[in-house]
Amino acid sequence: MKYLIAEDEIDLQQSIVTYLERDGNLCEVASNFEEASEKAYLYDYDVIILDINLVSGSGLDILRSLKKEHKDVGVIIISANNSLTDKLEGLDLGADDYITKPFHLAELNARINAILRRGKYGGNDLIEFNEIKIDTRSRTVFIDGNAIVLTKKEYDLLVFFVSNKGRVLSKEMIAEHLWGDNSDLLNNFDFIYVHINNLRKKLTAEGAKYIKTAYGSGYKFIGD
Amino acid sequence: MQKTSKAFLLTGLLLTILSSISLYFYTKKLLQDQVEESLYSTEARVVDALRDDQPVFSVSPVIEVRKVDKTGKKILKDTIIYDPSQDEMEEFRELSTYENIGGQLYQITIRDLVVESGDILVAIIISYILIFVLSVLFLFFFNTNRNIKLWSPFFKNLEQMKKFSISSNEELQLVDSDVLEFSELKEEIQLLTSKVRNDYQNLKQFTEDVSHEMQTPLAIIQAKIDNIINEHHINDKQFEQISSIQKDIQRLKHLNQRITLLTKIDNNQFVKVETVNITKLLADKVETFKELQIDYIILHSKTDLVVSMDSYLAEILINNLLTNAIRHNTLKKIISVTLMENSLMFSNYGKTPLLHPERLFQRFYREVNSVKSTGLGLAIVKKICDLYGFKIRYNFQDSYHIFEVDFKGNGVADE
Repeated sequence: MKYLIAEDEIDLQQSIVTYLERDGNLCEVASNFEEASEKAYLYDYDVIILDINLVSGSGLDILRSLKKEHKDVGVIIISANNSLTDKLEGLDLGADDYITKPFHLAELNARINAILRRGKYGGNDLIEFNEIKIDTRSRTVFIDGNAIVLTKKEYDLLVFFVSNKGRVLSKEMIAEHLWGDNSDLLNNFDFIYVHINNLRKKLTAEGAKYIKTAYGSGYKFIGD
Repeated sequence: MQKTSKAFLLTGLLLTILSSISLYFYTKKLLQDQVEESLYSTEARVVDALRDDQPVFSVSPVIEVRKVDKTGKKILKDTIIYDPSQDEMEEFRELSTYENIGGQLYQITIRDLVVESGDILVAIIISYILIFVLSVLFLFFFNTNRNIKLWSPFFKNLEQMKKFSISSNEELQLVDSDVLEFSELKEEIQLLTSKVRNDYQNLKQFTEDVSHEMQTPLAIIQAKIDNIINEHHINDKQFEQISSIQKDIQRLKHLNQRITLLTKIDNNQFVKVETVNITKLLADKVETFKELQIDYIILHSKTDLVVSMDSYLAEILINNLLTNAIRHNTLKKIISVTLMENSLMFSNYGKTPLLHPERLFQRFYREVNSVKSTGLGLAIVKKICDLYGFKIRYNFQDSYHIFEVDFKGNGVADE
């Protein structure tokens, strides 16, 4: 996949690039408004990761012109501003998703994948990983053609794992992905075990032993 | 103003009483002197008449002339005798002298009606009361009228100051006055309020900017950490530490979100009013919490509680109160949520009552430090309640912390 990362904080921009390139994606960067407008206009990307507060301009203006040009590109807005109106404005203008700083790169990656899966922008609503097939439209999972029954949370967890395959996921990242702001309620994340263990059991029963423990308290979804 | 009027009345009353008393004694003395003078002059006339050998009649009780054998003392006294002309007992002033005229001793008694002191007193008091009432009335109306005119700019400005709200941008409509002091006061109020507002705005802007500016560095730290755990070989202990840093980043993130939310409520950025079904909202929340293994929340509701407010704020209100109950429900006992026609009650078990319940809704007030929270949840609850005129109460009853939100007043939609 080809991404444009329009973010004026170079450190953040490079971290995103590093994370996304691990899956063999092609990442281009833009560090200011002019550069971002130009690249978005000239080239074709699958997804543009767009910061709203760019030096010398607003990412929302780029979004507006993209939609005016009817460019077939997925847009995920990243913003330091956690305001509902900003969020709604961005989504109204045709952004596919909105994520507030600070965010986990795993979360950003999962959301980019979700945008791609909607099928609009060169993606596919079917996720495949070895013998596992996930139909994201009907939210069903098959292993070697056999459907397995997952709860809503187990399903979300599996998609999150597969989207970030090969990466270490801490319990904090998983909790935040599954429960958002409610995740800070729990002083320990023991309840995460319940969901992960259930999912692991169901996958293992079908021979898919991909959920590995990493560094004692983290997880990694990886093929042998 | 009332105080001045009262003081004015009291002084007036005191002066009247004092002056009535002195006037009474003075008048009495004056009258007595007058009577005595007339007694002496009548007596002198009687003596003259006797000397001239004119016939002198005794006119009882006013003039009595008697021939007597021996002389006596000259007496001046008050006496009460029967007055046949009035057919009643009357007080008289009596002068009784003995005169030797032509070798014959006479006792001459002259009497004159004394105006009774009681009558004088009554007359004085009545006239005084009349004068007093009239003058007080006159002065009062005169003064009040003048005062109202004089003080009107002051009261108008006072009214404006009562309405003053630090967070509103509405200008104070201050009235000028030709009284120098009031005019100066007005200038000072204007200066002070605009300064206070400016400072408040600056502070608010600063808070907002700080929490906003903090998001980007936090995002950078977060992203770098996410890459570190994927790129470098670290050991389990380092991973633990990195996870713990992630938790702290989360805390800062939530803190920032809440500060921004508080500022937004302050800035009146939530103007949308919708019909929100609190009962449904709560039921959904309880379901969500069940997924987090929090299955000890019990919902009691008979009717649907419907409130007019911003739906986003309604969700935050419910969420914060519920979260608060869960957080402090350390023994995982039942948390009960009771919905009534226009109020909502959360109760959770707690061993001891709060040490400082009055500070409960203050920012960053925490009763126990062991529970990790931003310390802003209840402050936000209070802000939201204040915004819509809801009442929030806290009680500790039979080992239960009880929070009650009363939606009565502005918020409740009619059935």
